[in-house]
Amino acid sequence: MTAIATTGADNRRKPRMRWLSLSSGARYSLPVLVLLAVGFVAPLIAVIAFSFAEPRSFAVFGAPTLENYRTIFDPANTVYLSFLWSLFFAALAVVILALLCYPVAYGLAHIFGRWANLITLLLVFPLFISENIRLFGWVLFFIKNGVLDGTMKTLFGLEVQSLLFTPPIIVFGMVYVYLPFMLFPMVLGLSMVPRDVVEAAGDLGASRLQIFREVELPLAMPGFIIGGLLTFVLSVGAVAESKVLGGQSVIVITHDIEIAFTYAQNWPLGAALSVLLMVVIGALVLLVLRYLDLDRILGRR
Amino acid sequence: MTEPILRLSGLTKRFGEFTAVNEIDLDVEEGEFFTIVGPSGSGKSTLVRMLAGLEEPSGGEIALRGRRLNETPANRRPTCMVFQSLALFPHRSVGQNIEFPLKMRGVAREERRTRAMELLRLLRLPEAYYGKNVTQCSGGERQRVALARAFAYDPEILFFDEPLSAIDYKLRKTLEKELKDIHKETGKTFMYITHSLEEAMVMSDRIGVMRAGDLVQVGTPEEIYTRPRDKFVSEFMGEVNVIDVRRGMNGRASGVGIPGDFLLREMPEGFESGHLVVRPEYLRFIDAPGEAENHLRGRLYNEYVLGSRIQYQVRVGERVFMVERLRQQAFRGKLDEEVLIGWDAKDSILVTN
Amino acid sequence: MAGPGKSRAKGWIGAWTLAIIVFLYLPVVCGVLASLSQSRYFAFPIARWSTRWWERTLDSIEIGILIQTSIVIALMVTAVSVVLAFMGALAFARYNWRGRKLFQRIVLLPIFFPQAVLGLALLLWFNTLGLPLSWHTAVFAHLVWIVPIVTLIISIQVYSFDPALEEAALDLGATRWQVLREVTLPVLWPGIFSGALFAFLLSWGNFPLSLYTTGADSTVPEYLYAKMVAGYTPGVPTLGAMTTGGAALIMIVGYVSWILMRRAQGAKS
Repeated sequence: MTAIATTGADNRRKPRMRWLSLSSGARYSLPVLVLLAVGFVAPLIAVIAFSFAEPRSFAVFGAPTLENYRTIFDPANTVYLSFLWSLFFAALAVVILALLCYPVAYGLAHIFGRWANLITLLLVFPLFISENIRLFGWVLFFIKNGVLDGTMKTLFGLEVQSLLFTPPIIVFGMVYVYLPFMLFPMVLGLSMVPRDVVEAAGDLGASRLQIFREVELPLAMPGFIIGGLLTFVLSVGAVAESKVLGGQSVIVITHDIEIAFTYAQNWPLGAALSVLLMVVIGALVLLVLRYLDLDRILGRR
Repeated sequence: MTEPILRLSGLTKRFGEFTAVNEIDLDVEEGEFFTIVGPSGSGKSTLVRMLAGLEEPSGGEIALRGRRLNETPANRRPTCMVFQSLALFPHRSVGQNIEFPLKMRGVAREERRTRAMELLRLLRLPEAYYGKNVTQCSGGERQRVALARAFAYDPEILFFDEPLSAIDYKLRKTLEKELKDIHKETGKTFMYITHSLEEAMVMSDRIGVMRAGDLVQVGTPEEIYTRPRDKFVSEFMGEVNVIDVRRGMNGRASGVGIPGDFLLREMPEGFESGHLVVRPEYLRFIDAPGEAENHLRGRLYNEYVLGSRIQYQVRVGERVFMVERLRQQAFRGKLDEEVLIGWDAKDSILVTN
Repeated sequence: MAGPGKSRAKGWIGAWTLAIIVFLYLPVVCGVLASLSQSRYFAFPIARWSTRWWERTLDSIEIGILIQTSIVIALMVTAVSVVLAFMGALAFARYNWRGRKLFQRIVLLPIFFPQAVLGLALLLWFNTLGLPLSWHTAVFAHLVWIVPIVTLIISIQVYSFDPALEEAALDLGATRWQVLREVTLPVLWPGIFSGALFAFLLSWGNFPLSLYTTGADSTVPEYLYAKMVAGYTPGVPTLGAMTTGGAALIMIVGYVSWILMRRAQGAKS
């Protein structure tokens, strides 16, 4: 038996916590927690409370009733249709965006090198332009006598059907607005794939497609999942696209909620619809965030 | 017998269920270069962090020149630490880094600058580096800046938390020697942490070996090397040959698993069983059993050239023994040949656990 | 993996990215074009070009008030969110504490939430509390969404912060205050700055939250929406182009400053 210097196989988990003072972290978390408690949690609780109120009333402290929920689930009303439309549009948007964004994400993570920063800047900037301005630009593009129509007429003498005020244009709008929200998490995910692992896979005989399937996809998955989740959730709750671009061709769920809150003056119904939306979103988000290690994704070493 | 500058009594640190440092008693003399050695996870970093004030002890006392230090916060202790990552402030120049402790205590600008220049000279850095950005300095230069910064306010004790572990061999050897020189020049007390016993042997006046929270042995490098207290310490310093032994007849120890009755340097009272440790450089090839006080028969199995020395591996039964010779005295045997290896009793060490 | 195949793939990806960028900016370009049309109604190709709508917008007092409201809200949101998010980022990424994982998830929730629904919920909540709606409530509404985002941005910077820097500062004699001022803030500054930039720009351009919570006050995006729906004039895309231009200017100045800052710190990773 060769005796070799031991490096002390200490397999015990050593809690390497650098505590400057015991509850530093907890103390620093308080301001944000208070803000979210008062500004996020409390309003949502208010909404939940309101969903059990008398329909069309503004009093929340009466006897609770399920009337609003019954209204929603009553097949005679078409309210649930809005829900289905929203879910459908969101799912479609996610799929389209995943396909659209992957090449760009790949480029940003691996190809553009020094230009990556500039390109990122160009891609981020639209987020700072108000949604309406951007969507309205598309109206100017697609409308009769708009940019597209005018160009087609002048160049080819073609008269183009207006694409506005139809369901597909709503998906188009969602894809447009939420593109960065799919793109950047994807970039983050791809940057988690170490270059040398990809090269090793190629060296061991894998084709491009195989490398993608066996190496990149699994390793980049957390980023892709976040991108997909974010895009889905935001699309489900989107309303500007359907109002500005889609006219009234389809009423999405958030539009219905807005109508209930404003024109219909039926806050309890609006609240109930919101609760359902929140439940769907909440379930998805909590389910997914459970399994993700945020530290690793955001860059902790 | 002067009073030790630093006295640790029963110093303990627990993290929940886990005890990282277990009731350590230690005296450190003023002006000595004391190194704590141990494998990762042995608690040495935690120990030093407690001394620097960055970690609160769970029990025990730290006393500096007889004064209790436990409650003194880190920024008021007359000690300074050189961190493993060096922790140089990236947004400050070399000069600003060095002056930092002075600035924190309100020293005037001119005085700070003078002192910084002094330190640059002490650490063999060109004066022109004063305004240089630290991120543009080489590894060795950064080490020196970190050291200069630690010295700036003239601390009583300097702590070093494995500062040389991330550097390549050649640079490390240079810096080890320089550190030793600076220690002699300034006469300060250094407490150094490392996992490399080799490093400790080069620089230290005394060494403390730590294992799993306990201070297993304290002594001069010579003592640790020639009289390790137990198997762990003896194995810690490099490759050694170990034979498990039992008390035998005629004052000898008989091997367990290895046939033979071996003559020891001395047989302690009440010895029942333990380990016989022989360093590779004390094993030699012999032609006949009588040439050495102890011998073993085996087959030459392999040889490794380690720079200026050659290590031979000899198979004895199931086990492999290592013999080291200088290059000039290479053994001219053939692989797989039967050989005799031997050693004298005075060159073996008996440890009991 | 070399060879012509690879550079062809690179070419495709580059072209694709360019197409996406064009796609993103096309409506903005359309807006600018529309703002330069002389006639009241939009028809492409533009018959007569004119800058009269630009002049009108710049002179308009009503617009001036809107811009002022938007700026005030954005500045307040920036100031408050940077302070809150700085502390939140330390809790998020710097210290190991028991509730940290839970905290991370809680902070993310408002981001994964549709703004319009949040706006309506806040409307309901303010009403329940009996609070009158004004730009003050709008500031609060913006904070709920923007603070988590800024927290994330600063956290990314905090992740690469070496805690030994603070310990070294303490060890060298700094008080806790001095540590914050001399080490923590300066080193984290690029992250804080980007966070502030984001906060300002996101608040400036925000529509869904503002719509439901500003009450009688109005921000630029709200005004634009109202005009888009009824009462279109080329003044609308003009104002849109102006605010976009303003945002672009701020972002460019911010980005350049950020680069200079990083360079002064000796750019690491």
